[in-house]
Amino acid sequence: MEVIQQLIGRLHPVVVHLPIGFIIAGLLLQWYDRKNNEWSKIIGIIFKWGFIFATLACMSGFLLYQSEGYSFDTVKFHLWMGIFTALFCLLMYLRLAEPSNIEFIKRLPIVLLSLSLFFLISFTGHLGGNITHGSDYLIEPLPNNIKTFLGIGPEVYEMPTLDEDNWEEAVLYADLVQPILNTRCVSCHNSKKEKGELQLEEENGILKGGEDGEVIEPNDPDNSALYARLILPLEHEDHMPPKDKTQPSIEEIEIIKTWIANKNSFDKTIGELGLKKELFYAFFPKKKDDTYPDVEVAEIPKDTISAIKKKGFHIEQVSENSNFIRVSCINKPTFTDKDFNLLSSVKNQIVYLDLGETQITDGIFEKLSTLPHLTVLKMDNTRITGKNIETLEKLEYLKNLNLVGTNFEEVHLDHLKRFKKLQIVYLLNTPIKKTYQTDKPKEGEVFFDYGGYELPKIATDSIIY
Amino acid sequence: MNSLDRLIKEKLQREIQAKTRRHFIKDCVAGMGGLALGSFFMSCNSFLGNKDNAKIALTERDINPLASMAPPFPAKVKSVIYLHMAGAPSQLEMFDYKPTLHKLNNQACPQSLLEGKKFAFIRGTPKLLGPQAEFKQHGESGNWVSNFLPHFSKVVDEVAFLKAVNTDQFNHGPAQLFMHTGSPRLGRPSIGSWVTYGLGSENQNLPGFVVLTSGGKTPDAGKSVWGSGFLPSVYQGVQCRSKGDPVLYIDDPKGITRNLKKSTIDAINNINRKEFNEYSDPEILARINQYEMAYRMQTAVPEVMNINNEPEHIKEMYGVQPGKESFANNCLLARKLVEDGVRFVQLFDWGWDSHGTGHDTAVDLGLRNKCTEIDRPMSALLLDLKQRGLLDETLVVWGGEFGRTPMQENREGQEMAYKGRDHHGDAFTMWMAGGGIKKGASWGVTDEIGFSALEGQVSVHDVHATMMHLLGFDHEQFTFDFQGRPFRLTDVEGHVIQEILA
Repeated sequence: MEVIQQLIGRLHPVVVHLPIGFIIAGLLLQWYDRKNNEWSKIIGIIFKWGFIFATLACMSGFLLYQSEGYSFDTVKFHLWMGIFTALFCLLMYLRLAEPSNIEFIKRLPIVLLSLSLFFLISFTGHLGGNITHGSDYLIEPLPNNIKTFLGIGPEVYEMPTLDEDNWEEAVLYADLVQPILNTRCVSCHNSKKEKGELQLEEENGILKGGEDGEVIEPNDPDNSALYARLILPLEHEDHMPPKDKTQPSIEEIEIIKTWIANKNSFDKTIGELGLKKELFYAFFPKKKDDTYPDVEVAEIPKDTISAIKKKGFHIEQVSENSNFIRVSCINKPTFTDKDFNLLSSVKNQIVYLDLGETQITDGIFEKLSTLPHLTVLKMDNTRITGKNIETLEKLEYLKNLNLVGTNFEEVHLDHLKRFKKLQIVYLLNTPIKKTYQTDKPKEGEVFFDYGGYELPKIATDSIIY
Repeated sequence: MNSLDRLIKEKLQREIQAKTRRHFIKDCVAGMGGLALGSFFMSCNSFLGNKDNAKIALTERDINPLASMAPPFPAKVKSVIYLHMAGAPSQLEMFDYKPTLHKLNNQACPQSLLEGKKFAFIRGTPKLLGPQAEFKQHGESGNWVSNFLPHFSKVVDEVAFLKAVNTDQFNHGPAQLFMHTGSPRLGRPSIGSWVTYGLGSENQNLPGFVVLTSGGKTPDAGKSVWGSGFLPSVYQGVQCRSKGDPVLYIDDPKGITRNLKKSTIDAINNINRKEFNEYSDPEILARINQYEMAYRMQTAVPEVMNINNEPEHIKEMYGVQPGKESFANNCLLARKLVEDGVRFVQLFDWGWDSHGTGHDTAVDLGLRNKCTEIDRPMSALLLDLKQRGLLDETLVVWGGEFGRTPMQENREGQEMAYKGRDHHGDAFTMWMAGGGIKKGASWGVTDEIGFSALEGQVSVHDVHATMMHLLGFDHEQFTFDFQGRPFRLTDVEGHVIQEILA
């Protein structure tokens, strides 16, 4: 019996479309017939069929609700509006087809009935869709900027985070386990939907378990459904969350396991449980990578890149998700100041530029000052002397400057001190004397590395034991 | 049948034989496409037979397998120098200071440590062997280094130690394979192959992955430790010699001038280009590229491998001996290669297997000599990279394939004349330096005699994961499909060692 009930229930999504079709057909015919009023009888019959199938849809829908574990709160509006739709179809049929004895039906305005039916099927259908596909199904494919405009905002999943300084004081359940459950499980296992009769919203529900019994076996994660079903193969029918839903990360699954393995305590802190820091790395706020400027630049068209590569430059994208590039003249030792113009189409994107061992002169500085995001600049083993290097002061991100093996003159070093972000300057094999900067630089000051490191000979160098 | 007919028939036969399945299928596809196109443009039949329209879309990698590719994440370093001490150096004489072991010298090893353990040579109950070196804390970090490494102790603040690396292999071959390919069995690509496959190479005149060996022998595991496994063979390490020709047969044969060589290669490439126009097989383009690169390498490699032109004070700092095969020469070459845009430089130094079977393998004699051999060059390498601004974009890794026992080796249960230690993989020391590494860090603590890890144990996979991380990869996402499943360097394991990252 239960099987038949379930089967009929599951036919609901098919059956519902019949009354929708009839009602829309009826409404359209009414519109066409609005002047002549010749087809009333036929339209009446259509609404009769609409009534019959709407009733069937209501019944199958009810069976579906009963057998699939939906809570009444979730389905009630859909159910009631479905019933109203059926009733309005009946009224419309009575009004149009049969000469009725009941006085109030005769006096019903047809336009009112039509409008009501139109709204009823739209809303009932929408609510039904929300139940099966989730309330964000319809708007999900919209581009993020339109969503933001509508005030819905793109839904970004955020991992719960721990404070790196006092991670040991966080309560394992409240600060990690429940937030993970909330984002990964609760959309189905809540007091409204209660799939598998399981609620994971709070302590009592978790401990109570679902239709197959308790989901936690204290200290034994492998025999606890709450963990064991997470690590089943994705294709396994018992795998949770279902394979078309977003899956928890390895670290999150590991947290659930650890929690169960430690008596699934609801109030103990991580420190009290004596857990290792390794488990929680993924939950510490990500340190922002500050190697290159935190600025968005336009993507370089592919053919621009290959055109520049053909000219002999080596180009690397900083990463797959970054439009910044690193450019090197390692395969182009003939590079001169004039050749700089070949790079003018990618000025905004260059963050790393290696002009080492090329033919550049002091004339290059003015051109380089047009690279707004330049962070690392190598000019080692070239003929530059530093004249006009002050034009590079404009480069607000320049951090690393390599002048090894150049004729850089000491008088120009003072300019470098004024560069805002400059951290290190390499001066090996330049005419500059080591006395220029003797103290260790303070925080935020530029460090001049003169190189010339030595490993003095010591007695043991030549001893053979 | 006259002879001309026979010749024509043979030619047709040859042509049929030369058509491989690949060509057949490709021609079919192109032909079908052409037919479909023809029916779309009924009147424009000239579209048919125009080969260019059937041309497949080629990526840069099809033409040049070493073309650079962006890593998934911003990388901290762009090249790697891996110093491998083949034979497994003794951490207890170099970095892992164990005063308690000194006190317990010559006492029998407790049975509890030996139970369920298997050693390569130790039998019965061995005696504990105290450290044969004197230790001191050095630098601002206060990390321990022994008097076997007096120069290195001055640069100790540049490196981060891993004091409790763990491997499950206790024989050289498998352990070296594990250390370099992530699996103790043959067939996996080495780290350098993964890296050049993933990132490509910068210098178009040099190989992306260069291997240099010293110490008189190559590693026990053979060339598979720099092999490409199932990756295309173009990503395997190129072994260069620091004595004689850097690459065998790199010189033109006697009587062949550079110009003649060039025209030979041009002729071959022209034939290959015609072949490509006929079959559109990208492998042919890759081959053309290989010929051209080999030609360029003929001048570029001897140039970069020549250390004679380095200034005297640099030669002295490294302690190089031009013309000989030495670790010092290789360290200087490693710097030159990285400076010239080589992605991965792998150094092997043989002779660290200090079993105590003779003078050369005694931990107080031969090992000390080996330490002297590497002490100056590897310290010089760090300083030289640093003064050229290369250390912040290079990763230097130092280690062996495993460590050595706190017990003195008793081969065949006999007491031995020299002091030696057996293979031991439970906890040994490695260090890393360079971009993204926390300077002066030390992670991992071993027990009082240095037998096993108390805290911060890391596996070989963890070391690989960390290297990949610094190069801009997520080691779990960086895979290659082979035999029906994706493979990765770290197999199904590995965690990035956050404790040594800046």
